[in-house]
Amino acid sequence: MPDDTTTDATAAAAAAAAAPEHYQRNEALAFAIGAAGWLVPGLGHALQKMWGRALGCFLTVGVLVLLGVGMRGNVFSSEGGDAFGMLGYVADLGTGSLYFVARALETQGSDVAHAEGDYGTRFLAAAGVLNLLAALHAYEAARGRKA
Amino acid sequence: MIAPTDFHLSHFQAMTLFALLISIAFGFLSRRRTSERVKYIIWSLFLFLLIGVGIGWAMYPFSR
Repeated sequence: MPDDTTTDATAAAAAAAAAPEHYQRNEALAFAIGAAGWLVPGLGHALQKMWGRALGCFLTVGVLVLLGVGMRGNVFSSEGGDAFGMLGYVADLGTGSLYFVARALETQGSDVAHAEGDYGTRFLAAAGVLNLLAALHAYEAARGRKA
Repeated sequence: MIAPTDFHLSHFQAMTLFALLISIAFGFLSRRRTSERVKYIIWSLFLFLLIGVGIGWAMYPFSR
C-alpha cells in the first residue's frame, strides 16, 4: 500500500502534466470570448455573466456608431489608399459587426466638409477603439487577470 | 435599410455627448460597484469638458 507522500507526489506529477493542456484550453476559451466581444459589442462580458459591463459596452458603442452615421461621418473602407484611410478603416473595423451596420445605414455618404461630419468620423473611430478595449478587457477577465 | 435621423449638433453638444458616452464606457469597464462607477463617470466627464474647453480657449488666439 503506498504511503501518503507517494500518493501526493503522484498527484502533483499528474497535475503538472495536465497543466499545459488545461492552460491551453483556458487560453483558447479566453481568446474566443475576446473575439466574441469584438464581433458583437458586450458579448464577451455577457458570456462571463458581467451583465452591467455587457450592457454598458453595447449601448455606448452602439450609440456612438448611430450618432456617427447620423452626423454623416466617414465610414472608411479597405480602399482608403493613404495611411490615414487605413488607420481609419482599422479603427472602424473595431466595432465588429456594427461596422457593416454603419456601412448599410450610410446611404447618403459622408459629409466631412462640415464640422458635424468630422465629428461623426471621430465618433465612429472612437466606437471602434472603445470596442477593442472592451474586447481586450473581456479577454483579460476570462484569463482571470482582472474583473 | 432605414437611415438614422440626421443629427445637427453644435460643437459643444457633440463634445459633451462624446465625453458622456466615453465616460460611461470607462466607468463600466474600470469599476465594479455602482457608486464607484457613478463617481468615476462624473469625474471623468468633468475632466473631459474642462480639458476640452481649456484646449479650445488655448487655441483661440490662433483661430484667425
